[in-house]
Amino acid sequence: MIFSRLGVDHRRARQARWAGQAPPGPVRDYLGSAPPGPRTDVSDLRLLALDLETTGLDPRTDRILSVGFVPVDGLRISLAGAEQLLCRADVEVGQSAAVHGITDDALAGGIELRDLLERVAAALTGRVLLAHHAAIETGFLSAACERELGVPLPITAVDTMELQSRVLRSHSGEDLPPGALRLGTARAHLGLPRYAAHEALTDALACAELYLAQVDRLSGGRPMTLKALQR
Amino acid sequence: MADAEIPEVTDFLAEQAPFAAVPRTDLERLARRMTVRYARRGTLLMSVGRGNDEVFVVRSGAVQITDDSGTLVDRGEEGTAFGTTALDGRPSRFDVEAIEDSLLLVLPSAAFHELATAHPAVGDFFSQQRASRLRHALQAMPHAQRRTAVLQTRLRDLVRREPITTTGDATVREAAQLMAREQVSSLLVVDGGRLTGIVTDRDLRTRVLAAGLDSSTPVSAMMTADPVTAGPDDIAMELILEMTSRNIHHMPVVGGTDGRTPLGMLTSTDLMRLERANPIHLVGDIAKADDLGTLVVLSQRLPRIIDQLVHEDATADGIGRIVTAVGDALEQRLIGLAERELGPSPTAYAWVVLGSQARLEQGPGSDQDNALVISDDATPADLPWFEALARFVVEGLVACGYPRCPGDVMATNPQWRRPLREWRRTFTQWIDEPVPDAILRSAIFFDLRTVHGDDTLVEELREQIRRSAPRGTRFLAHLARNAAANEPPLGFFRGFVLEREGAHKDTLDLKRGGFHAVVEVARVHALSRGLPQVSTSSRITAAAGAGGLSDETAADLHDAFEFIRYVRLLHQAKQIRAGEPPDNFVAPSELSSFEKRHLRDAFQVVRSAQQTILHSHPLGHVT
Repeated sequence: MIFSRLGVDHRRARQARWAGQAPPGPVRDYLGSAPPGPRTDVSDLRLLALDLETTGLDPRTDRILSVGFVPVDGLRISLAGAEQLLCRADVEVGQSAAVHGITDDALAGGIELRDLLERVAAALTGRVLLAHHAAIETGFLSAACERELGVPLPITAVDTMELQSRVLRSHSGEDLPPGALRLGTARAHLGLPRYAAHEALTDALACAELYLAQVDRLSGGRPMTLKALQR
Repeated sequence: MADAEIPEVTDFLAEQAPFAAVPRTDLERLARRMTVRYARRGTLLMSVGRGNDEVFVVRSGAVQITDDSGTLVDRGEEGTAFGTTALDGRPSRFDVEAIEDSLLLVLPSAAFHELATAHPAVGDFFSQQRASRLRHALQAMPHAQRRTAVLQTRLRDLVRREPITTTGDATVREAAQLMAREQVSSLLVVDGGRLTGIVTDRDLRTRVLAAGLDSSTPVSAMMTADPVTAGPDDIAMELILEMTSRNIHHMPVVGGTDGRTPLGMLTSTDLMRLERANPIHLVGDIAKADDLGTLVVLSQRLPRIIDQLVHEDATADGIGRIVTAVGDALEQRLIGLAERELGPSPTAYAWVVLGSQARLEQGPGSDQDNALVISDDATPADLPWFEALARFVVEGLVACGYPRCPGDVMATNPQWRRPLREWRRTFTQWIDEPVPDAILRSAIFFDLRTVHGDDTLVEELREQIRRSAPRGTRFLAHLARNAAANEPPLGFFRGFVLEREGAHKDTLDLKRGGFHAVVEVARVHALSRGLPQVSTSSRITAAAGAGGLSDETAADLHDAFEFIRYVRLLHQAKQIRAGEPPDNFVAPSELSSFEKRHLRDAFQVVRSAQQTILHSHPLGHVT
């Protein structure tokens, strides 16, 4: 108990140091704020479901093309906070356009990466990031932040892909069939409607809805903490 | 930067019936005001007696709606919407349960009200959910159930013989001979098989003998050309209404492809056979009465006629029109007697009735509401004549059983006996500089109808109202507020709210938050659109025609208005038979369970109409 508290204090101290290094603005504010605590119950937990479209899977070499996000307040998705931002990029989108449908022309109308990061940081302040395979989102956001602003972006996240494997294992205890954890498959398994994939906001909303269904399954209506979600 | 569109939500809404008519940009804004909820199978989303503040749309999954007795009301999948009947903390009348794992789009009530105001079709869509049930109830009411009720008889079934006809070029003598031979009191005049006129016994007396015309005069010169006619599918009730209000005794029934082929003649005697106490005769007798004493005696026949009509299963609307026709006849006759006593009027004037009588909705025991509009030519010396007229008529009406207006809205009050220009000023004040208290009292002046005198004076006022009321935003807002001020007597758990104290303790007031609220709502609809209609049902129809109400909402309001008034009539007929003064307070124990259930539905319609009118005429911040 004491150790874990020390661990938290240590992280916060490091985050505060980074906050001192970041230029004034939403990123600095974010670094100076605390995410929801591990014992927060899901019914009070504030999250930001977020999806990035990128040129590839490597945060060091690939670029963010767009971001879509929508807040989740407890067990409700607040559509009022839904956003989708395109990033102006110097790189050629090339092949990946076939996947996410974002063309170079569309990107030319986007905003600077730094602006995008600041918008995300502002929306994420006081919230836990929620994504399907969250490592991609946390990795890309942090790497981009380090490049643009000189500080990494530590992010507390909940991963719906992880949650889905728990939902499925509690059923069978067997190895999962290939593809069972993909967003669309996971949604179908829980009776959620089919969405056109690969637009950042649609995927973020799809992820948020999936989360509501997963929490319902995993908690069975009993209290459940953030910590239990991240187990 | 514009807010992001949420295509998965907007596209979905655009495909659902209630939102189909809403433009894309509005749907995008609507989507952003929604939240999304997940409900596992078995979750109770709404429960009977509990209020909520949200409207739900099933995005995926399915829900089941049951009423308080557990009866399945509806089952809906993707696209089903619910919650509108229990908004703003009103008790829900249904349980709504997710019967599959469901994803729900949730709209806060404020956003729903704004949407329904901006797009009336949306609000109307939701009130339809109640509509079919209420309509079903009306159809099951006794007056419709017993289609054989005599007043529902089709005229084709009443015509007992071929029409007796002559032609326009026949002489008056030939016509008289034909009438004597056939033993009829009237003839139809035809030209090439088409009806062109009518000749009656009375015409032979007054237009031929008394006028000294030669018996070789052609019929076409003395007949009534293009007479009022009825169709074979009209019902006896309508015929009685028509003959009563026009004070005529012969009605040709015409049909055929051109609608002018004579099928027969119906007389007041034919209708007499239908029923013993006939309002046509009462109206005729009133018109002939020579003194106040006779009118007092005649007016005592009205309660019996009402009782009879209720027994014959006439509609509340029909009975309202008949009671009004009798009231009009009495008032007209009293004015005639007054003019005989006071001498001719010094200048033009109009005797105006207000409120329920103006709307053709007078009920038994209604008090009098009347006013005098005098020509601007009147000199101060002329005014005493009008004062005497007012006193004569108002006192006469009291003697005939029409109590004085408790609010003193009568021509005897100098405030309501004035030249046209002052009336114009008063209406301008009411509409352009509304004072809440004054509006409450002035509302009935916006239902006005001339029963005697120069209607062009009144038409000027009506024209002024039609022109300026639609612009009177604050006036309309106050009027809408008044219309919504008296809530239907419905409480938690679908129970009735009974009067707590006083003479009517433990009864239900059918008027205040009931049919009278419909009257007030219809008035706001009509005034805000500059519609000339005065009766509530014609206002509802006209408002629907002008696009202010959907056909379904209009049908709901018609039904609710008729149902509540019908229940009141049954109650009043019972009181009349027991020798008690008729009122609007009915004890729940008097009502059958059928009546109770559907009265609740009707009150629910009233409530939603009140909400809608309130939201479409907000008072704003400036009061």
